[in-house]
Parts: sequence; structure tokens; C-alpha cells
Amino acid sequence: MESHTRPLRRLVIYALLALMMLFFIGPIIWFVLLAIRPPATAFATPPVLLFEPTADAIWHTLVDPGANAKQARNSLIVALGAVLLNLPFSVPAAYSLSRFRLRSKKFIMLWYLGLLMAPPIAFLIPYFVLMTQIGLSGTYLSMILVLQTLIIPFSVWLMKSFIDEVPRELEEAARVDGASWHVIMLRITLPLVRPGLIVTSMFAFVFAWNNAAFPLVLSSQQTATLPIGTLNYFASTGVTWSFIATAAVVAMLPPMLIFLVFDRYVVRGLTFGAVKG
Amino acid sequence: MATIPVATTAPSGRRTLMAYLPYLLVAPSVILLLGLIAYPLVFALKNSFYFWNLQTSATPVGFVGFANYRMVLESPEFFSSLINTLILTISGTALEFGLGLAIALLLATRLKGMSVARALLIMPTTIAPIVVGFLFRYMYDPQGGIITWLMASIGLDLPVQGILGSTNTSLLAILIADVWQWTPFFAIILYAGLLSVPVSLLEAARLDGASAWVLFWRIKFPFIMRTALIILILRFMQLFNTFDLVLVLTRGGPGTSSRTLGYTLYQQGLIDFNIGMASATTWLVVIIVNAIVGLYIFFAFRKWEW
Repeated sequence: MESHTRPLRRLVIYALLALMMLFFIGPIIWFVLLAIRPPATAFATPPVLLFEPTADAIWHTLVDPGANAKQARNSLIVALGAVLLNLPFSVPAAYSLSRFRLRSKKFIMLWYLGLLMAPPIAFLIPYFVLMTQIGLSGTYLSMILVLQTLIIPFSVWLMKSFIDEVPRELEEAARVDGASWHVIMLRITLPLVRPGLIVTSMFAFVFAWNNAAFPLVLSSQQTATLPIGTLNYFASTGVTWSFIATAAVVAMLPPMLIFLVFDRYVVRGLTFGAVKG
Repeated sequence: MATIPVATTAPSGRRTLMAYLPYLLVAPSVILLLGLIAYPLVFALKNSFYFWNLQTSATPVGFVGFANYRMVLESPEFFSSLINTLILTISGTALEFGLGLAIALLLATRLKGMSVARALLIMPTTIAPIVVGFLFRYMYDPQGGIITWLMASIGLDLPVQGILGSTNTSLLAILIADVWQWTPFFAIILYAGLLSVPVSLLEAARLDGASAWVLFWRIKFPFIMRTALIILILRFMQLFNTFDLVLVLTRGGPGTSSRTLGYTLYQQGLIDFNIGMASATTWLVVIIVNAIVGLYIFFAFRKWEW
């Protein structure tokens, strides 16, 4: 196909591509620059493209996010906790839905999918009141628990698509040899599906890491995650843009890295396994 | 392989376990999720019939029947936010799908560098919506924001209150931020769909003299239909529920010009602390969302294979 492409056509395609990348990637670079540029140039007209970034600012942004360190740690605890708590629930469910005949399989799968489309804001107020009443408000546990409403359905769908791909022959052989179901699941299928488990956990991590709705009402000053941190900077002393930008850059980096490393699985992750990509 | 004598009469306890096993494995997740979503729904249903403002009382004050629902339905904010939500959701989904499809076709030319472009292109989608809000708020800034500067440089008449500060452009500004974030999502997923079209089929059609137009609609499009059906409803619902972008960019203003249903709920519950009214709105939203999703799933997933 490449050889058919005429030079002019090729030129047009590359011009469009360049324009597209400028539109979609430009704003991200512009915001990263905000984090490391001298504050005086942040809103200069015309915009200042070239500047000498202060070593201090780069250090703060990339190595030691200063006030953001605590929020980065909180984001990490909440997202990791949510992924870990989800595994014992979603792995058996995904295995069952992939391997066994359930009469209500279709209904259960669609129910999980429906949960992913539920309006999060509708749940915020009740959770806020509930967690306050049972004394869990402001704890990591409250956020980790409530995040399961998104993470479990997501993981079941994505993981099921990976288990579906493991050939059944090995399981059949083990069954003939008299292995019981839990030996088959834990010793044979799960080790084979390990890459799928890792991919699923990584995307679930991004999902939890980027969630701002639940921490918005459930976190305290001590347990605020990065997106909430940006909001707090915004609300407290007017707009402190360099603070917002550094917190935002720290919040952006892990998801971007995960998406780049797991590039092959991005389509699959974004569609919950429905599109193999 | 050694043949093992199979017990013809398994102990009945074990047989029952095996019969229920598939359900037992699914049960923990279903029970946890049921608990987590039933509580908020029941809470909202009950309190939608009570007068309760969290600022003045820690517990519901009194039963008011359908007064909360009446108040919500009679408030102009509810309808303007419903309209705004529908405008944002329908135009956003359509724009993102259309632009995404165009980009997918561009990537599918498979010229050199396309795979790198594709890997980088998805970056906006990986960012938390709150952060996207700040990204655009910075660029929309009336004094020195780069979008404002670019628009002014090409001679566009910008509202003096700024792009976010004018009732004419505030909703559009939110739409653009969302289109920026989610067009790549459609692009790379539809691109993956296009790659799944068998080359032999395309070659055969080309030999038969099919034009590019026919090639696309008759061969490529049916292949990406299945994919498109899933991501369209996903994005439609996410957009319908949007509130974090609105929270950062405009807080629904100026006036109610960019207020969405999600933001109205946020305002009623977490700013005004009017739990009764917010609960009534919650149920109205839940009913609308379920109706849309239910209808869509019923029609789109009828022929789905599991």
C-alpha cells in the first residue's frame, strides 16, 4: 500500500498529521512548561516560548514535588489499595464468567457494564453522609471501598477477555487427571493469564488514580489525592498556577507512562476487553 | 495418560457444590457491588421525600411527599441544565466520533511514523478530567491565555469577559476541552477496528473496481460497527455524567449558561447541602440514565455473542 502513495498525497497526509499532533500534544507540553517556567512569563503576551527554566523549578516538578509529595503518596495508596482489594473479587468472577455456563451470564456482564456508566455524582452525597456516620470519612479505606464500584466491573470485563484466550485443553487434561477446580484455576489458568492480570491491574490503577469524584467528598486535608490537591491550590489563595501545574504534572506522569509501556493493550484496556486491538 | 476410574455416583454434597460453583465465584463481587450501590439509591429514595438541609440539621427534618420533586421540576435550573447536558452530550459524542474516525483513516494509511503518532496521540485521554480542566482554564485565560491570544491574533472577536466568562461561549469552551481529551480515544479504537478488516476482502473489492467511498461504507464500516456501538454509548454516558470539567472551568456559569445535570447535583448537594432536593434530582437522573442505557443496550447488544 505504501508504494502506491503518491508524493503529493503523502505530503498532505504528513501535514495533517503534524497539525493533529500540534493540536493534541501541544496543550500538554504547554502545561508542562508552565510548571517549570519563571512565573513572570506564565501569562505573557505574546506567549514566551523560549525561557531559561530555573533548575529549582525542574527539581520541584520532577524529583521532589514539595507540597505535592504527600498528595502523590495518597494517590498511590488509594489507587494501589483499590486495585489490590479488587483482585479477590474480580479474579474469581472473571474466571467463572469465562469458563462456566451461567444462566444469567449476559445479564451479569451487562449489569457490570451499566455500573461503569452510572453517574458518580449521584452517589457522592449518600457516601459522604454514610462515611461520616460510620466514622470512615477522610480515610483511605472509604475511598478504596467506594472505588470498587468502578474497578471491579472494569477488571471483570477486561480480565474475562484475557482468560477467554487461554486454551481450555490444559484445563481439560488436568480435570481428567483428577485435579479439582481450585487447583485448576489457581495452578493452571491464573499463571497462564498472568500478563493479562498485570495489564488489567495497570489500567485499573490508572482508572483509580485519575478518579477525582470520590476523593472530592471522602478525603480530608491529610488524605487528599493529587487532583484534589490541584483543586485546593486553586481555591485557597486565588490561583497559584505554578503550584497547580506542578501537581498536575505529577498527576499526569504515571498514567502516561503506563499507556506508553502497555501501548499494545491500550485499545483493549479502554474498551474493557471488548475490542482486542 | 493414565485413565482414572470416574466415580459414577459422586457424593451429593460435592455435586451440589459443583453445580453452584459458577455462581459462588461471581457472588462476592456481586454482593459487594450491590451493597455499595443499593445504599446510595435507597438513601436518595428515602430522603427525596424529606426536607433535609445538612447545614441546619444532621438528620432529616420532616416528610414532605413529592415536594422536592416538584421543586426540582419547577426550577428553571433543572431544565436549562438538562438542555445543556443534552447539547454537550450529543454534539460532543458526534464530534469526537467524526473527528476520531477521520484521524483513524489518516493513521490507517500506514505511512512511516504512524505507529509513533498513534502511541502519542492517546495522551490526552490518559489525563484526569480535573487536570484537563486546569489545562484549558490556563489556555482560556482572558489575560495571556494562549487560546485567547491565538484567537485574537487571527482577528476573532472575543467576548470581553473572556471565553469562559461569557454566556455565549462558556458551554462551547467545555465542549472543546472534552473533544480535545476524547477524540484520540475514538481515533485509536476505530483505527484498531479498521486494521481488523481482512486485506483480502479489500483487495477483492478493489479489483472489482469499488471506489474508496464504497470501500469505506460497504466493507470497512460494517467491520467497525460493533466497536463503534460500545464506545459510543460509553462516551455518551460519561459525557452525560460530566461534572469535574464543569467544576474547574466554569462552575456552571456565568449564570446557568454552562450548567450540566451533574453540576446541578453537585451544587444542590455539596454546596447548598440541600440533601432532600439533591436526592430528588438524583432519582430523576437515575431514571433518565437507566432509560437511555437500557434502550441502547436492548437494541445495540441484541445480536451480541457472549
